[in-house]
Amino acid sequence: MHHAHIDKFAYQDSFIHRLDGRVKFIAVIVFTAVVISLPRTSFSILACYAVGPFAILVWAKIPLRFVFKQVLMVSPFVLVLALSCPLYDRTSVVVAFGPFSWRSTLGWIRGFTILGKFTVTMLALIGLVSTTRFSDLLTALQRLGLPKLLIVQLGFLYRYIFVLIDRAHHILRARAGRSMRNLGFKTELKTASAMLGSLLIRSIDTAEHISIAMQARGFDGTWHTLSKLRIRHRDYIFAVAVSCFLLTLHFFVRPVLQ
Amino acid sequence: MPKAIELKNFSYRYHDGTVALRDITLSIEHGQRVALIGPNGAGKSTLLLAMSGFVKGTGKVLVDGLEINKKNLKKIRTIISSCMENPDDQLFMPTLFDDVAFGPLNMGLEAEQIKIRVADALRTVGLSDMSERAPHHLSAGQKRAAAIATVLSMAPEIITFDEPDGSLDPRNRNNLIKLLTALPQTLIIATCNMNFAAAIAGRAILLDKGRIIADGGAEKIMSDSKLMAEHGLEVPVKLQGR
Repeated sequence: MHHAHIDKFAYQDSFIHRLDGRVKFIAVIVFTAVVISLPRTSFSILACYAVGPFAILVWAKIPLRFVFKQVLMVSPFVLVLALSCPLYDRTSVVVAFGPFSWRSTLGWIRGFTILGKFTVTMLALIGLVSTTRFSDLLTALQRLGLPKLLIVQLGFLYRYIFVLIDRAHHILRARAGRSMRNLGFKTELKTASAMLGSLLIRSIDTAEHISIAMQARGFDGTWHTLSKLRIRHRDYIFAVAVSCFLLTLHFFVRPVLQ
Repeated sequence: MPKAIELKNFSYRYHDGTVALRDITLSIEHGQRVALIGPNGAGKSTLLLAMSGFVKGTGKVLVDGLEINKKNLKKIRTIISSCMENPDDQLFMPTLFDDVAFGPLNMGLEAEQIKIRVADALRTVGLSDMSERAPHHLSAGQKRAAAIATVLSMAPEIITFDEPDGSLDPRNRNNLIKLLTALPQTLIIATCNMNFAAAIAGRAILLDKGRIIADGGAEKIMSDSKLMAEHGLEVPVKLQGR
């Protein structure tokens, strides 16, 4: 079965793709921290911050349709949070944009700022995972000092989530093929729990087989890797460019909405 | 010279008390290609696990003259390698390169040596240009070939295969037969597919209900239609009418 992998475009080749995973990861973390720490009045500046990840996505030839689909996929959680803001903060404020001004509430301003920050940081995150292979990202995280156990678990998660999804699809299809009518909530619930149980048992079975396969190849609990990461000139150029971009926005750009 | 595999009066019971293997005594010479044939539930997979030291029963199991015990296990893992029934269980790393390098890394080899071994193993199975692919991007046939590469990179003397032809189309099955018959190692292949077994093995061991029923030349055993039918098997097409 074919799946929409998060690193679907990470196997392309571009200047951004060739950058070291560590540099890209640190750049995204710093960028995200800066964007999140912007004051709530800075909604209009977010558009300037969006230019950075947007330019990287275009440069790396990541289809924008794919990017916005990914943003939409995770947006429901943030939408609930953003839309609840106007409900609990109804302090009236005047919003000015050049010669225009209108009345709004602090809740709406907060809500829009949350949505704006979410979109901009998601663009940066999608830029990272779409230009870095998951395996390289794991190596980068390991080289940055993340615990090996966590790296191994992330690796297994990425490797087996698709196997698990396939299995779940097969079980659902087998059920659909034999369910001629609705048997009522109680029976359906019972069937669903039995299906989940079956999936869990199969997962345990798979884990046992993987453990055997690992031991058969000499695994004794210590995780060894052949790291292929190397910081090159282009990585320094990228790091300087990101720093200049953030510093320029921080010192020279003022909000147009007051 | 010690035998590749030797089992002496080996028996094994599952945790629920069901007898999986009963009083198994056999020996396999180096360089032999042996098919473990038998119906479902005969104990073929369990016997392969016993040969690799993954199940502990009563009796003795020797690999290249070394008795399977805690002290010898690390050495034994470099002599015998196992290819699992489901390639998804065998390919657990994010990329094919990492997966094929996993064994040599655990053997403590140098980085350059590991790269050479990975390249050689991938070339042998015809996946040289896919080393950076994630295993879930491979087709069933490619996954099977990749799983074989993961054990070849360890350069073992003995390789066990559990139902290696499962879910393969005829073209991929023929490719696998070509690949396995070209390998110089001792091969022990558990399968229910008699045509596949007949195409590869020179010796067959028929197993049913945890016992060895017959052991000898593959053609002789697999052409015995009465014996095959008695144990829920069939005579391979190439041996029919003999």
